[in-house]
Parts: sequence; C-alpha cells; structure tokens
Amino acid sequence: MKMFLGISMFFSLLLVSCSDGPSLQKYFVENTENANFISLDISPSILKVDKAKLSVEQNEALQSFDKINILAFKVNATNRVQFEMEREKVVAILKDKKYQQLMKFGSGKEGASISCLGSDDHIEEFVLFANKKDSGFAIVRVLGKDMNPNNFMTMISALKSANIDLEQLKPLQQLIK
Amino acid sequence: MNRIIITLVIAFFTTTFFAQSTFDKFDGRDEVTAIIVNKKMFDLMGKVKVDASDNEAQNYLNLIRKLDNLKVFTTTNVRITAEMKSTAESYTKTAGLEELMRVNDNGQNIRILVKSGATEEKIKELLMFIEGGNKGNQTVLMSLTGDFSLNEIPILTDKMRIPGGDILKKNTKNKQ
Repeated sequence: MKMFLGISMFFSLLLVSCSDGPSLQKYFVENTENANFISLDISPSILKVDKAKLSVEQNEALQSFDKINILAFKVNATNRVQFEMEREKVVAILKDKKYQQLMKFGSGKEGASISCLGSDDHIEEFVLFANKKDSGFAIVRVLGKDMNPNNFMTMISALKSANIDLEQLKPLQQLIK
Repeated sequence: MNRIIITLVIAFFTTTFFAQSTFDKFDGRDEVTAIIVNKKMFDLMGKVKVDASDNEAQNYLNLIRKLDNLKVFTTTNVRITAEMKSTAESYTKTAGLEELMRVNDNGQNIRILVKSGATEEKIKELLMFIEGGNKGNQTVLMSLTGDFSLNEIPILTDKMRIPGGDILKKNTKNKQ
C-alpha cells in the first residue's frame, strides 16, 4: 500500500512540475531585451478597417483578437551556438501539454508548427513557430479571447479587404535583409 | 483503493509509452520531410461553419470530423527508405493491417494497407507506402488514422493533395 502511495505521489509531483513549466510568456519577457532577438507587438490597429463597414460577424471576429507578439532570432556568424540552445528551449516549451499542437511541417533543418492554447471554442492563443538552420527562428503568438475557427476564417476574409498598416511591421525587415 | 491506484499507474505508463507512435522516429531528421496533422486540428477544422447548401464542403467536413491523425514522411535518402520499409513492415504485422492493394505504376511501387474497424467498410487506419518513381526516387510513408469509410477517401484526395492521391482515388472508385 505504501509503495503504491509513493508511486502515485511521484506521479502527482510530475504532474505539478509539468503545469509549472516554463511558459512562452516568460520566454518572451526574458528575451525581448536580448540583442540576438527581434521582438515586435502588433495591435489590431494594424488593420485599418472601417469598423462601420464590417458585418456583425466580422466585428465579432475582430474583437476576439487581442494582439500579435512576435519574437525572432536572427542567426549571424557569432551566435550559432546560442541559436541551437534557444531553439531547443522553445521546442521544449512547446512540448508542454498545455500547448496542443495542431500541425507540423518540416525536417530537421527547417520547419514550422502551429499550436494552440485553450479549448475548441475558446482559444486563447495560437502559436506559430518556424525555424530554419541558416537564418533563424520566429515565434508568432496570436493572443485573444474566445477565438474559434469560425472567427479565424472570417478574419482572414476581412484581411483581404483590409488596409494593412505596414509601419508596424518595419522591425521585421531586419529579418529579411 | 489499491485497484484505483494500480489502474492510474498503468494508465500513466501506457499513455507515456504509446503516445509516441511507431513512425515518430522519422520526425525531425534532416533527410526526412514530415507533415503531421493532429486531431485537434481536425477538430477545429470540423467546427468551421460552411454553407449548408454546399454538399461537397459538407461531406468534406463530415469526413474531417472523423479523422484523428495524418502523418506523412518523405525522403530521398536510400538508408532511410530501407528503414521506413522495415518499420512499415513490422508495424503491419503488429498492428494487424491488411493489404488493400499493391500497384506498380511507372516504376513506382505503391502499397496500401488498411486496418478495418467494426465493419468491413469502416477503416481505422490507412497506411500507404510509395517507393521509387520518377520524382527523384522519393519515398513516401503516409499514415491516416480515424474512423472513416473507404468510400470517403475520394473526398479526401479531392480536397487535400496527399501523395499518391490520384492512384488511391482511381482504385477506390473502381471498387465501388
């Protein structure tokens, strides 16, 4: 009996340590000031949409989105080792059970994955993680409240007709250079 | 009390061991390109509202809801091809898959295996192995799990561009 109790306690400890694992939020905060990283916050105002012109559905969809946070690591001649380390860290964070992986594509050299946080109709966060050995990696967090697949689709259709404020994306140009 | 704990412990062990599927070892290798779509994705896609009058889309969504996992691994590496082949073969035996068809088309060797569900028509798993062919000797290993019917496969191949889809479509259509 004691042994079983011991075993179950061991497992419950494991569970606790899981839920207390490092989060992306923490990772973002820790690295925004780091010179190797480029960080960027995008607010919904990037979409210069005329609110009056939107349908009720589109408005609702727009409201379920909060902001987009981007953190990117750019590889150069000196930080290759760090790149590997940081990439491993992110992969480890995303392995946490609370991030449900939706899909993944790629090989060992490069790849991308999409994960989400929250239940089906109340998704709080989408995480897009893309990496390439020669150039770096980028984490894109789409944060919101009660996002759901429908809102997402409406959003994409609204995006097509929207004027995107490119000013907000300027920092990303460094990545492409 | 004891029993509950034992069950819990066993449940834990089995989930940790079996969560990793046989083919996951091919994931993340430099020479292998992998595409993995998880159940959650299918769940979410199945929730998208579509026009009720659009029959094709409705059928497609109905099928999506029944899917669990899609895994596609492709490689051009000879060593990995051999490894994929042996893994697929041993998996076929342990998981009890039956061969649905074997096609030799333009030097392309295609094997399609299925694991039947409750009835003959129902499929729990579809495994496809494509070897050789013109496109730079690419090897493709695809596994699709869920609870769907053989008749629904053409819907899938129409909408998703899965490798070998055209051959699969041709052959499943003939069967009906």
